[in-house]
Amino acid sequence: MATATMVLTRVKVQRRFGLALRVTVVIALLALAALPLLLGGDVWAQRISRAAIYAVIGLSINTLTGHAGQISLGHQAFVGIGAFAAAFMASRLGAPLGFGLAAAGVAGAFTAVVIGLVALRVTGLYLALVTLAFGLTAETTIFNWREFTGGGAGAFAPRPAVLASDHAFAPLCLGVLGLVLYLDWRIVSTKTGRALAAVRNDERIASTLGVNVTGYKLAAFSLSGLIAGLAGGLFAHWNQIVQAMDFEFQVALVWVLMTVVGGLRSRLGVILASAFFALLPLTLPNFLSSLPWQPPFLNEAVYHVLPPFIVVVMLLIVLRCFPGGFGQLLRPATAWLSGKRQS
Amino acid sequence: MGAFLALGLFQGAVYGLLAVGIVLVYKAKRVFNFAQGEFGGVAAFTAFAIVVGAGLPYWVGVVGGLAAAVAMGLIVERVIVRPLESSSRTIMLVALVGVALFTIAIIVLLGQPIPRVMPPLIAGGGVNILGAGILPQQLILMAVLAVLAAAMAWFFKTDMGLAVLASSQDTRAAQVVGISPVAVSRLVWGMAALLGGIAGLLYAPVGIFTPGFMTLTMLVPAFAAAVLGGMTSLPGAFIGGLAIGVVQNLGIYYLGQQLKVPGAAELGVFALLMLVLLIRPQGLLGKEA
Repeated sequence: MATATMVLTRVKVQRRFGLALRVTVVIALLALAALPLLLGGDVWAQRISRAAIYAVIGLSINTLTGHAGQISLGHQAFVGIGAFAAAFMASRLGAPLGFGLAAAGVAGAFTAVVIGLVALRVTGLYLALVTLAFGLTAETTIFNWREFTGGGAGAFAPRPAVLASDHAFAPLCLGVLGLVLYLDWRIVSTKTGRALAAVRNDERIASTLGVNVTGYKLAAFSLSGLIAGLAGGLFAHWNQIVQAMDFEFQVALVWVLMTVVGGLRSRLGVILASAFFALLPLTLPNFLSSLPWQPPFLNEAVYHVLPPFIVVVMLLIVLRCFPGGFGQLLRPATAWLSGKRQS
Repeated sequence: MGAFLALGLFQGAVYGLLAVGIVLVYKAKRVFNFAQGEFGGVAAFTAFAIVVGAGLPYWVGVVGGLAAAVAMGLIVERVIVRPLESSSRTIMLVALVGVALFTIAIIVLLGQPIPRVMPPLIAGGGVNILGAGILPQQLILMAVLAVLAAAMAWFFKTDMGLAVLASSQDTRAAQVVGISPVAVSRLVWGMAALLGGIAGLLYAPVGIFTPGFMTLTMLVPAFAAAVLGGMTSLPGAFIGGLAIGVVQNLGIYYLGQQLKVPGAAELGVFALLMLVLLIRPQGLLGKEA
């Protein structure tokens, strides 16, 4: 009897110790991630904002592709519409930043609903084609519409005085990222997530189970549009000027690939991959030009194709070797941190 | 007006040619082939390197370009498509997007992002059709499109084509009667790459071309053409291609020139695609393959 109690106590103590250890590790990792923000100066605050915005975009694509199994190849259009909406609110109407962000999200969601209503009724990946065509239209028509976007000159999106410095703006981006993460977690762990999983695996079976297939696909796409619009609003204020050329259609392709590399339905994987590809174009040229020996075929003209090239190579490796992306590689660590028993 | 119509028809021939390849892959594999344009890109750049770079005769360039395209098709089939056969169509589409971007990046790295001019098959001035100057190259393109669309439609009536369709409908049952899924897959991707290569070789001399020219400007109208035609119909791809070309140019004429809407060509394609999916999702000539 006494020994049994002692064993039980020891198990309990070990569990408590394990929990404490895991919490410490999580806090240490978060602190490590926050170091550049605290010590890196304005440059790093700006970079972290960019990484957070990319992570929001990645999670937006994850909502559509990871949860609903559909693809958007024109996501830059939703981000762009959000960005121009936020810029319009800030510079033309002088509205506070919160209203601008809200308008950005609503604009993104509204566009997604209109397109989804047409494209998602049809079985198959027609959404990919429609969004692709829409992305080109947005790039050439909507973003060049002078009254809304200021034409080729771009639209200004000044920050309010409180958020003027990059150090003040970064926490806002991280806060939005946290909000989107919470949303994603709530989707997965409720009825919606299970319905979406059914739709993703087999639309016909899902509809026999009474799941409104088109409705759930549309809901996922409009949420994806909302999050993308929100990311666009943040981008507008991050850059403080929005131009049509920021939203070329190759950008959307890279975002889709980046999300798959991170691992569909893996929040941590998507965030890490997004942050990586957000910072790559900023750091790679400097890194390459500081090398003592330059490969002969590299020069300024080809620097901008290198990040897409790297994402594609990573995608092909990921699809062949570990289809779950970064998320799959990190699974042992995340499983331990969330306290699951190894089986 | 008449000039825009004629320009649209001949521009549409290129879309039709790409759409034929897209339809072929979709019929056989139920996959949207995003890499279709870059088969043409590879063919055009290889032919350019042979004809202009090395100064060899034109037919060597044509053969070399087509060989490069087919080789790329077979490599894509072996390295990307076949290993991913069992994964979802979503992942397959993402992988093919990856292939297209990879090819463009390789071309940029090897050849630099500069515009090039490829000599046409037949030199000489344009023919006047409805007030538009149409190059001999474009006339050849239209003729080749008609021949190839007819040939592909005929192909699906032959034993080999029926084998491809059978394998598409039920791979296992087709295997039981002796149709190898691997052989079908190789055949389909090889043929699609050949079609894409022909499209690239014929279109590159029409204007100047840059890395990614087939994917960035041609692929979206080509997909719209395939959807308009019904995604599984080869005559549909032909008609769809010409129709998209005409709609694009009418868009430029009415919206762009008269109402000064920027990007009228892209807007026309998008509007048509939305209309087709709204009114007739199965396309003009579409039926289950």
